[in-house]
Amino acid sequence: MSRKILLLALGLVTLAAGAWAQSYGKPERRDPIFLRFPEMAQRFWVNTETMAASHKAVAVPMPKQCSFLYADTYTRNQMSESEVQQMALSNCNAKLNQLGPLGENYGVTCHCQVIISDGAYQVPREALPDQAYGPASIFYRDGQGNIARLNGTAKYGALIGRDRSVTFSVDNSRAEPVCEGTFTNEGPSNGRFSLSCFNGRFAGNGTYESRTGSPNDHIIARGQTQRGQPIILVIGLPAQLAANMYGGL
Amino acid sequence: MRWLLGLLILTMPALALAQSAGQVESCFQNPNSCTWENGVPTPRAQHAPAPPPAPVASAAPRGPDYTTVLNSPEPDRRKIQESLRTLDKYNGPIDGNLSSEATMKGIAAWQKGHGYPQSGKLTPPEAAALNNEASRAPIKRLDPKMEAAVAPPAPPAPSNADRLKELQARLAERRKAAEPKANAATEALVRDLKAYVAADGKGVAGEQFAGFAKWYADTKAEGRTIGDIKPAVEDYGDAKTGAAATAEVTFGTKQGDSSAKECLVFAWIEGNPRKDAQAFSCDDVAGVEKWKTDQSLKSAWR
Repeated sequence: MSRKILLLALGLVTLAAGAWAQSYGKPERRDPIFLRFPEMAQRFWVNTETMAASHKAVAVPMPKQCSFLYADTYTRNQMSESEVQQMALSNCNAKLNQLGPLGENYGVTCHCQVIISDGAYQVPREALPDQAYGPASIFYRDGQGNIARLNGTAKYGALIGRDRSVTFSVDNSRAEPVCEGTFTNEGPSNGRFSLSCFNGRFAGNGTYESRTGSPNDHIIARGQTQRGQPIILVIGLPAQLAANMYGGL
Repeated sequence: MRWLLGLLILTMPALALAQSAGQVESCFQNPNSCTWENGVPTPRAQHAPAPPPAPVASAAPRGPDYTTVLNSPEPDRRKIQESLRTLDKYNGPIDGNLSSEATMKGIAAWQKGHGYPQSGKLTPPEAAALNNEASRAPIKRLDPKMEAAVAPPAPPAPSNADRLKELQARLAERRKAAEPKANAATEALVRDLKAYVAADGKGVAGEQFAGFAKWYADTKAEGRTIGDIKPAVEDYGDAKTGAAATAEVTFGTKQGDSSAKECLVFAWIEGNPRKDAQAFSCDDVAGVEKWKTDQSLKSAWR
């Protein structure tokens, strides 16, 4: 009998330790993840209906450079916390699958992970996205009519659309930095962009537009290189989808 | 007239090569193996002189781009062979020779299974897909005999967990280095804030932080007094005009028996006097972040 009690106690201690180990502190309104996804922040911090939910879970693709979409789930008492987590995870995976493969953009494998649940972070803060990240594709047509497709990832300041100007950088799929640039907004979701690759040897500028909704929130920037050739930059869509939508130049 | 024709013939190749799509693509994929002359990219040959890279994709009927992968750096070519081996499509040496019979057979076998043309050569998207698939394949135990037969494998790439640890260590180190300056800057601010409160609304804190002076005047007008002042470094790092600091400061206020806490974020560029100083409400996330962006703050704190 005493052995059973001992085992039970040991089990409880292990469970409690496991639950403790999974929490990495409480989310705060100013955390970059909420700056990156304003609609998510609205639901998590402002909307009274969602704020009143008894269970909240947020899932994003990880590691952090993959976090270009999210799924959040808010429910009342009908569901357990683990069911809510599963739902957020499943929605995140569904979104990711719907957009197509990411292999041409990323050297790492992106997979959805629950990052917030039960009012606490489920991953270390250092692992959370600290800026806005997303797959990026640059399409360039040279004077001979050949089209280059440059696929990689982009990183930019999270407050695009609210700040007057936001800097960004583009890495190739092996995470080597290649390009950098600036978005300067003129309206809430549009403005001008400049791009400079290979230390300014290949550069362009033009206008950009931030598009929300299906298939995924993304930025489409169209312009010309310094030699007058057309160039398109897409951030937020996997390479194949970006090529299908905008690769024709 | 002849000399004009001759000049045209001489300059045509240069014009055609000016930032060609294929070369820009090669340089994007391997920026370190690329040189630029007069704004024209030239991917460097790896071992033997390589033929000029063919355009990757063209508006006219496009030929597949095999040269990019064939001319990629040796580690990349070895990686492709490793991926083929992981997927049981290749059993030869990991020597980076993608033109060997065994490698081409392996590539063709993999292409067959994925509906690609069985050319035995890879386009960049095919290479990415191959490596991606191999990275997801379950780890297999190597046959020691086979392992002995092949060239020594390249050192394993660090795992994500290792990279994360490395990053965490780097961030912690960076923050530790910045801590003394950040703390000193915040302490100096608090000294000025306390002096301003003690002098009943006079001093540099109010002159530099107009938002704080207004908040102080409003608080006083409401009949509240200010008690303890608790700071916390919010961010610190180099900005375009000097070291930038932001501090979250909590003010305890009292009015009769009731007490409350109010929070302001102070942002400034270090100097005497402080430059570009601004005070924000702690809820004004966008305002603080905009200030940081305007200052081009490179955080050493987060």
